[in-house]
Amino acid sequence: MLFSYNWLQEYIKGKLPAPAKLAELLNMHAFEVEALRQAQGKKDWILDIAVLPNRAHDCLSHTGMAREIAAICKLKLQLPKTKQIKVQKGGLAPLKVRVQSTELVPRYTALLIEGVTIGKSPTWIAERLEAVGVNSINNVVDLTNFIMLETGQPLHAFDYEQIEGPFDSAQGKLMNVREAKEGEKLETLDNQIFSLPRGALVIEDAPSTGSGQAKRLIDLAGIKGGKVSAISSGTKHILLQAANFNAATIYRTKSQLKYTTQAADIYAHQIDPNLTMEALERAYALCAELGIGGKIVQVVDLYPKSASWRTKRIALDMQFASSILGIPLSQKEAKRILESLDCQVALTKNRLQVTCPTRRLDLTMQEDLVEEIGRIVGYETIPAAFPIAPITPPSKNIELLWLSKIRNALKGLGFTEVYNHSFIGDKDFSPFAYSATDKEKLVEVENPLSSEFSHLRDSLLENLLKNVRDNQKKTETIRIFEVGNTFRRHKGKFVESNMLSALIYNGSFYEVKGVCDFILNGLGISSAWYDEYQATSEESRATIWHKGKSAEIKVDGEKIGFLGEISSRVNTALKLSKPVGALHLNLQKLILLASEEISYQVPSRFPASTRDIAILVPFQTKVAEVMNAMNGAGGPLVRDIDLFDMYEGEHLAQGKKNLAFHIIYESSDRTLTSKEVDTLHNQIIKAVEENPEWEVRK
Amino acid sequence: MAISPLKNSALEAIKRAQNLAELEASYKAYLGKKGELTLILRSLANLSETERKAQGKEANDLRDLLEKRFAERKKEVQREEIVIQEKLAIREHVDVTAPGKRLPKGHLHPLTLVQKKAEEIFQSMGFAIAQGPEIETEWYNFDALNIPANHPARDMWDTFWLKPKNAGYLLRTHTSPVQIRYMEKHNPPLRIIAPGRIFRYEATDASHEFNFYQLEGLMVGKEVSVANFKAIIQEFYRQFFDKPVSIRLRPSYFPFTEPSFEVDMRWGKGSPRGEAGKWLEMMGAGIVHPNVFRAVGYIPAEWRGFAFGMGLDRLAMMKYQIPDIRLLYSGDLRFLQQF
Repeated sequence: MLFSYNWLQEYIKGKLPAPAKLAELLNMHAFEVEALRQAQGKKDWILDIAVLPNRAHDCLSHTGMAREIAAICKLKLQLPKTKQIKVQKGGLAPLKVRVQSTELVPRYTALLIEGVTIGKSPTWIAERLEAVGVNSINNVVDLTNFIMLETGQPLHAFDYEQIEGPFDSAQGKLMNVREAKEGEKLETLDNQIFSLPRGALVIEDAPSTGSGQAKRLIDLAGIKGGKVSAISSGTKHILLQAANFNAATIYRTKSQLKYTTQAADIYAHQIDPNLTMEALERAYALCAELGIGGKIVQVVDLYPKSASWRTKRIALDMQFASSILGIPLSQKEAKRILESLDCQVALTKNRLQVTCPTRRLDLTMQEDLVEEIGRIVGYETIPAAFPIAPITPPSKNIELLWLSKIRNALKGLGFTEVYNHSFIGDKDFSPFAYSATDKEKLVEVENPLSSEFSHLRDSLLENLLKNVRDNQKKTETIRIFEVGNTFRRHKGKFVESNMLSALIYNGSFYEVKGVCDFILNGLGISSAWYDEYQATSEESRATIWHKGKSAEIKVDGEKIGFLGEISSRVNTALKLSKPVGALHLNLQKLILLASEEISYQVPSRFPASTRDIAILVPFQTKVAEVMNAMNGAGGPLVRDIDLFDMYEGEHLAQGKKNLAFHIIYESSDRTLTSKEVDTLHNQIIKAVEENPEWEVRK
Repeated sequence: MAISPLKNSALEAIKRAQNLAELEASYKAYLGKKGELTLILRSLANLSETERKAQGKEANDLRDLLEKRFAERKKEVQREEIVIQEKLAIREHVDVTAPGKRLPKGHLHPLTLVQKKAEEIFQSMGFAIAQGPEIETEWYNFDALNIPANHPARDMWDTFWLKPKNAGYLLRTHTSPVQIRYMEKHNPPLRIIAPGRIFRYEATDASHEFNFYQLEGLMVGKEVSVANFKAIIQEFYRQFFDKPVSIRLRPSYFPFTEPSFEVDMRWGKGSPRGEAGKWLEMMGAGIVHPNVFRAVGYIPAEWRGFAFGMGLDRLAMMKYQIPDIRLLYSGDLRFLQQF
């Protein structure tokens, strides 16, 4: 809210600190001053103060802010003059006000003023208002704005003659404050027509139980006056309203309408119902000065539950206060500070009995008072002191330790880590081949920032592929990875998974498989198994993968991820000219399988012998099948079988591929003779040749 | 065989040898297992005692002499060879200014680096690391943190809601729900931090993103004060920036703390360019509100705590002088490969 320095000065005895100093003091003891500037004409300074939400009750007003300043600067407050309300006999028919419930309208106060003069405001009022960005309109409207900015109590003025009632004018008029029905229409002073949400507070001037007259909404209560009852140059009598409305209702309505006013902002934070009469007494005092004149002929004041808005008492334990802040506090000092904030304080042994002013709705417990004392004393007076606590070492977060290992492994392999947004959008569905079922599984954002970010990502791959698209012109090969959460709907619930994805642009199936093996090895997982593409993979949208060059990664039967090359369809859609190898792993599952246990195997003291074998097999034969056959035949003296070449193409018969292996023979207790090795090797050749489609090349 | 011609031919061979291999061959020829002199020495056993004495002495003397000469010549040859190798080496020299072979180099994201460093510092001060989901319920994100529905305080967090809205699911707007989840499962006293991704419904610009990172901290004990909070956080910044820093607290408001503060930091000596003496807004913090303890079933009168939440993106931007938060989520390799 904007505050005028000169205006604040009016409520302070003695001189305010210079504007810059004042701003600094407010920063350190109350609220952030977001901007300080000279007013037009350079006679005043304007402070834009971010009043904290818990102080909107009392500090969205110049008197409220002046009270803060007085407390901080140890100055005295001088409040503006008010005038006791005196009802005089007049000629107007009485007005009756009904409210739907006390909960919705804790207090409804209004003055009916007969015979007012609408005109220009005196210059000083116009200057005050314009300094803080409010246009001067006429003396009555200016009065309502001025009182709100001064006291924090919103006022509204109705043109009495525009209020229609069911009775003829001799009997009076009736206003009904009630909740709106869905879709009711109302035109406000600023010519906006609103279709109201259910539950918005409105004022209606011809009750539905009336005698056939059409009911009319004349006010969007607490937010903006209705056009039909607006003050005009011809207004003769006014109803000056100072009401207290339910904060949650006003808050909900202004959020739903996406429309707000200063009054609505104040009401939404809840204000003290005791303020209404004070504000009207102040307004009454100003009526003559503003040339409004007139006489009060009726006072409406509906305040049935005034008892629940009385002052509260809080017993403050001084020991408690100083142990929270971590500094010694004297009772005397605490008392002085609380009194400067308009509390009444009585001393008892080690305690302060504090009676808080009703407008300080935020003061409800000891901690609140500790905050008041702490900030006025100044937090800068609190020294830094380490806590006294057991030196128990913190429990280790194993997941994060493993994750850190994985990240470092990928870094070591030349991968760059990327962080992408957690969202994907409509435009991604076509290039990444989302089917209708895929889309149903996505988590949709109710209020997306744009259609580009309408859904939560169900995998990290799409955004990583977009990174490749955006970076491909700058470099030949790209290796990137991301760690992050992905989201999908499953049986009416949201499922969130922590995933790792890595991409190699200009990379192959075997390259990413190597990366995967490297990661799994680093985690001590040796039992991984790669399964051919299955159409119904739970962990991955199948269409993104190259059907012939992708595999599901399993450990002990559990699916932990997917790897392979990206389908050419996706490549084409993203205009990627080179193949992309990709890997994605479910980190939660992976980390559960990780193990740090390594047991040392004594290397053999005896030399090993190596023999090579080349086998021609049909192209669909799996390396694993051939290796299994060889391992079975070789027995325990085969230490390792290592595929060193795999070749399909020229010089080979159609549909064949050539596999070449090193076989390493070794014993832990003797040197194998070449005869022994030959025998073993021949056994292996024989076993391989048992399969009529496999041919050992000699 | 006569000793003396053998002596002459052996000494000649030693002299002639130009390299270690030649020398080794000559050595073998005279002193090896089947060397000429070795055979003579071995044949001595067959001679009569007088002959043995006469020839034996001569042969043994020669052996000692040859051993000595071989050793001397070996040293000479080795020296010569080093000289030759050095000459060769000059011809084979490298251009030391040419770049080294380029090995693939990986890079971790600046936010990963910053988060890791923060975790290490807090762990050294006894804080464990906790985590929680990014999709949260209204209860954990708001109600349990003393932020009731239809309260303007909710406006402090612009929220992404998930469909269907009436289900009450949202993307967490802060890491504070992790406090609640952790306290529900653990008894005090406790010290935790909770780093993680959070979301705000906010237009992006150089200093705003709609998903970013926060690090939440919580310490609960019997006697935990504002003074303690100040010490912990000042130590954190000092270690993090590796420079002396001072901090200050300003009044603020958060529904889940009372009192609440904004924490500003200022560098002492060695502040980055243009920031000397400037107070920088770092985070929000405060003493845990009794209603938060009530929500997790702690007895407020028995426990006290401080909590704080700092932006990790801001820390990364300060540490690496990154001018625009959007770079962190751009996937631009020219940016990422600088870390």
